[in-house]
Amino acid sequence: MAKDAIRLELMKNAFAAIADEMAATVIRTARSSVIKEAMDFSTGLLDPQGNLIAQGLCLPVHMGSFPPTLSTVLEKFAGDIHPGDVFALNDPYLGNGLHLPDIFVFKPIFFEGRLLAYAAAIGHQTDIGGRVAGGNACDNTEIFQEGLRIPPLRVIAQGKPDPVFFDILRLNVRVPETVIGDVQATIAACTRGERALMTLAGKHGTDAIVADMASLLDYSEALTRAELAAFPDGTWEFEDFLDDDGFSEDAIRIFAKVIKKGSDITVDFTGTSPQVKGSINLPIAMTQSSVYACLRSIMDPALPTNSGFMRPIKVIAVSGSIVNPTSPAPVAARGLTSMRVTEAVWGALARMLPDKVFACGAQGDFGVTIAGYRKEGRPFVLLEFLFGTWGGRPNKDAIDALSSLAVNYSNTPVEIVEREQPIRIEEYGFRQDSCGAGKYRGGLGMVREYHLTHVDEAVLQVRSDRQKFRPYGLKGGNPGAHAGNVLKNLDGKRSALPGKFMRTFLRGETYRAELAGGGGWGDAYARAPELVWQDVLDEKVSRESAARDYGVSISDDGALDVAGTERLRLARRAAE
Amino acid sequence: MTIGAHRIAIDVGGTFTDLVVSNLDGSARTLKLLSTPDNYARAIADGLARLFEDGAIDPQGVGSLVHAFTVATNALLTGKGAKVALLTTAGFRDVLEIARLRMPQLYNMDWDKPRPLVPRRLRFEIEERMDADGAVVTPLNPASVIAALEKMREQDVDSVAICLLHSYINPAHERAVMALVRQHAPGLSISASHQVMPEIREYERTSTTVVNAFVKPVVETYLASVEEGIAGIGIRAPLMVMQSSGGIAKADIARAFPARCVESGPAAGAIGAAALGEFLGEANIIAFDMGGTTAKACLIEGGEPRLTDEMEVGAGINAGQRLLGGGGYLVRSPTIDLAEIGAGGGSLAWIDKGGALRVGPDSAGAAPGPACYGLGGTRPTVTDANVVLGFLNPLHLLDGDMPISLEAARKAIQEHVAGPLGLELHEAAWGVHAVADAAMTRAIQAVSSEIGRSPGDFSMVAFGGNGAVHGATLAAHAGISEIIIPPASGVFSALGLLFARIQHRLVAVCWYDIDKADCAALNTRAEKLFEDAAVLMAGEGVALDRRELQFTLDLRYAGQSSELAIPVKDSVLTSAALASAAAQFHVEHERTYGYCNRTERVQIVNLRLRARSLERQEHLPAPAELRRGAAAASVERPVYFGPESGWVTTRVIRRSDLTQTPQKGPLIVEEYDTTIIVPPGAQVHAATGTVRIRLGKG
Repeated sequence: MAKDAIRLELMKNAFAAIADEMAATVIRTARSSVIKEAMDFSTGLLDPQGNLIAQGLCLPVHMGSFPPTLSTVLEKFAGDIHPGDVFALNDPYLGNGLHLPDIFVFKPIFFEGRLLAYAAAIGHQTDIGGRVAGGNACDNTEIFQEGLRIPPLRVIAQGKPDPVFFDILRLNVRVPETVIGDVQATIAACTRGERALMTLAGKHGTDAIVADMASLLDYSEALTRAELAAFPDGTWEFEDFLDDDGFSEDAIRIFAKVIKKGSDITVDFTGTSPQVKGSINLPIAMTQSSVYACLRSIMDPALPTNSGFMRPIKVIAVSGSIVNPTSPAPVAARGLTSMRVTEAVWGALARMLPDKVFACGAQGDFGVTIAGYRKEGRPFVLLEFLFGTWGGRPNKDAIDALSSLAVNYSNTPVEIVEREQPIRIEEYGFRQDSCGAGKYRGGLGMVREYHLTHVDEAVLQVRSDRQKFRPYGLKGGNPGAHAGNVLKNLDGKRSALPGKFMRTFLRGETYRAELAGGGGWGDAYARAPELVWQDVLDEKVSRESAARDYGVSISDDGALDVAGTERLRLARRAAE
Repeated sequence: MTIGAHRIAIDVGGTFTDLVVSNLDGSARTLKLLSTPDNYARAIADGLARLFEDGAIDPQGVGSLVHAFTVATNALLTGKGAKVALLTTAGFRDVLEIARLRMPQLYNMDWDKPRPLVPRRLRFEIEERMDADGAVVTPLNPASVIAALEKMREQDVDSVAICLLHSYINPAHERAVMALVRQHAPGLSISASHQVMPEIREYERTSTTVVNAFVKPVVETYLASVEEGIAGIGIRAPLMVMQSSGGIAKADIARAFPARCVESGPAAGAIGAAALGEFLGEANIIAFDMGGTTAKACLIEGGEPRLTDEMEVGAGINAGQRLLGGGGYLVRSPTIDLAEIGAGGGSLAWIDKGGALRVGPDSAGAAPGPACYGLGGTRPTVTDANVVLGFLNPLHLLDGDMPISLEAARKAIQEHVAGPLGLELHEAAWGVHAVADAAMTRAIQAVSSEIGRSPGDFSMVAFGGNGAVHGATLAAHAGISEIIIPPASGVFSALGLLFARIQHRLVAVCWYDIDKADCAALNTRAEKLFEDAAVLMAGEGVALDRRELQFTLDLRYAGQSSELAIPVKDSVLTSAALASAAAQFHVEHERTYGYCNRTERVQIVNLRLRARSLERQEHLPAPAELRRGAAAASVERPVYFGPESGWVTTRVIRRSDLTQTPQKGPLIVEEYDTTIIVPPGAQVHAATGTVRIRLGKG
């Protein structure tokens, strides 16, 4: 172990650097805003058995998905894998994929005739065909409506691209230049990973590299078990809800039970609602990934993220439930359910580790697609996922405007949207008073307004939620504000829209996405009045909310009214 | 600027202020003194006074004075800048605070976002709007500006940043707002985004403009104070400053656009390494600068340090930072591309919960310092490991100025590394040294293999206090076989300032598919760039025939968001010239990313012009003048070079003992402020003022 300790650190860095180098290649060569601006992609390195060895600094919730997808490739092509091959897939049922827009590519890496590893990448494609542009519609009822299904396929054979695959892909998507370019970017990343690992193998020898991969997995497992062992043993439950599936009014329950014993942990979703008619069913690979991301977030950030980390973790999801749907259930908009799964799991973890875990944030519930054709017939697809904020934390406020910890998504600059699409963004900012009050308050919700210009009409399709069930607070903190959808028509009239909808969007209309706020942590009346006052000065919190939600009085001239605050707080204590 | 005269370089860092004066005969004097953070100008004045006190140099004979400074960066890191207000387009008050939503590390619930430099209460919305083509959607309402100025007055704001949507394509509204500010609030310092950084992406432009506004008054005060000190000594030469891009310019550029100078100091070392390479006929270099707390790497290709378009101040030190932003204050400005890692001589070694040996990023700093300094430090550092291994003198450093306790170093490594891991002491020390090398390898990969360059095609120029201690072993790790140790490697960054040239970089945004580009329109934009460059160079006093103009096109495949810079020979763009640039782009894309698509649409995004002076220092200052301290007699000591070589009795010599005849390693070369390690199998010789190490094949 001793000399390994040094070797391990050296090789851990080397593998991680390769995965990051692959990620850098994707960013620099990709075409779509979804990948190059919002960074919806991942890269990884896997051993010949399909264990994840290293993950690029990309998208956490993709982490657990490389091993199960690669396993379907290995099953199909065992004994028939050669240098220069590239495999691709996207199908959730045949390939363990996440949903059709996420195209996976895998490239085997050989050195001196020996299979050493696989370089892998996922890119979220801007379009994958199907009935609704953007590939994230909520109202599909079977996967066949959702676009091109790619089973595990060899798309490059010993360096020769398969024209059949690329021709079919090109013909089936609305923006072929973008999609083919993005798939090439992920393949380029794998080639970069291949070169880098071959260089490493040339220096250290293949035997050593293979042995190092195995010890790195053991090392991560040891670190993970050490962390788990330090947590209390027991069982903790939490439930959260999705408003509906877009067809029925019924709420959908996500129920997570965390069972921790010694250095093992199980997350059991038994009790979660059955799969639904609409396309927010979450394929099992993504359910597992979501759990991994949550558990990873309560551990040392420096712990290497690989399959060793996953070994002590067990996920139970009943087949036919919304977290393990069966074919042909639609899954296009499953990202929403993935968010809610993480929130339910974090909720249970907060009961296990009350001093560590944050209240509920407003994560990436919103998926907005605006698509159509320009005058000259050229198609356009705007695809955006909107992220909001965190919940209040046990020792400090939430961070306003931050992506989900499970996704670490970025946003697309307004100026880029306006340059590339026939759309003007009218507003992008905070919603006053949308934060859940608490001793440590939740983050502010945000708004983003889209105005159609240049084209007469487009399709507007939105996936959102939290109009009925607000992001929860913890330890007496208030929930964050509801989310909302508002359409301003040509007469300037505003009307509320449901969480999940698709409609014609006319030139001159404005669609306003109102993201939920984050939940608060702890009793808002115990919040330092000074902090409330600062929020009022910044117009993040109104004077009315300060008085009502925090018991803090701000005088007309904007000063903190200490005596008034005491009166308000005493009055509430008396009322209790 | 007169090159024949004395030249002075002043490099002010957080800890040390380094001064170099070049003499008429090509020799140079150096001085290293502690910086004075309460007023950085004071150390400069003190240092200059000491350099001039013996009367050997006539202040009036000083032809130029080049300065790299850290006050802008420090103002950002400490939050002590101006009170800034932001004027922005209605609907976009929160762009600065929202930033890009990401955090620079995965899975950390405890992370904190940097506080915005302008709080929400000082971000004001202006009624106006342009579209992406620069057409007015909503005319500017002057009343909204005046109302904001009124509120700013109540809040005692002293600097204003103006950033309106799409101002990079049409700055008319920003100009009108500037005029209103001048009219109604004449005392305010103004930074407008179309001047500071006229490029697309509102967050990046806003952040850069706000940073500029935040540090501008601080930098103005500071430079005035430095100039006063210089004038006090009787120096008449104008003060020149180093920009983040590696070019120097009159101090006025730093007064107007201090955001362009935030990486002033680190740029100097890279420029020095590039200049050194040029003297030696080495065009491809990896500059490696290792100090007490961090190590930095920079790629120099074809004689030019590589540039990046943006950087973050205060983001912490992490190679992954290059992928994930959000940890610091973003500045978009041409900046010498440095990868920085938290590994230096003072970095602490520790065992993590999984039983792996780790080094850094925590550092023992100057106090308590490494255990071997005997200043109270007890935890093991990289320097302690190097003492235990015999790499560093086990009795003293700095020619006896600093006593070293081998015992303390051994104790620290034994207790915190060797004991817990069940290793022999020397194995543990070797582990610390090797893990530090591995971390620094990451920095080298970040500037080379990550962008498709093989480190083996480059020579390493190793400098900074610890650069030559780790240079050879690190080079072996990274696959580099040639190492160059420059003269005065401990103050090499200051020396680098002497080699910098006057330089300005200009950019014009132009979006075209290259095969459909309107050459006439492009040439109009290009002509404007050439005119602007001519004005700037005349302002710097650079004669017409001493100017070098480099014209490049930023090209990409349609839809990509990152461009490759393709140089163009002629200043007039013809369709043939564009076709040839496109062809070159495919080749460069293949080289950098491993593939290209010759049938695909190529877009022009920017025209760029770099104007620089040909004038600069023509030779290396003679190293003999730079060295101080007494020569020591040659001795030998046992040194542990890792499990393959084991303990080897190694000769210790002075730099002056080296000749052009290669000597075989193992060998240790000691001089006043640095120690050079030559491992077994390597060869070392002196060449034109430098020390060169060649690693054996293996």
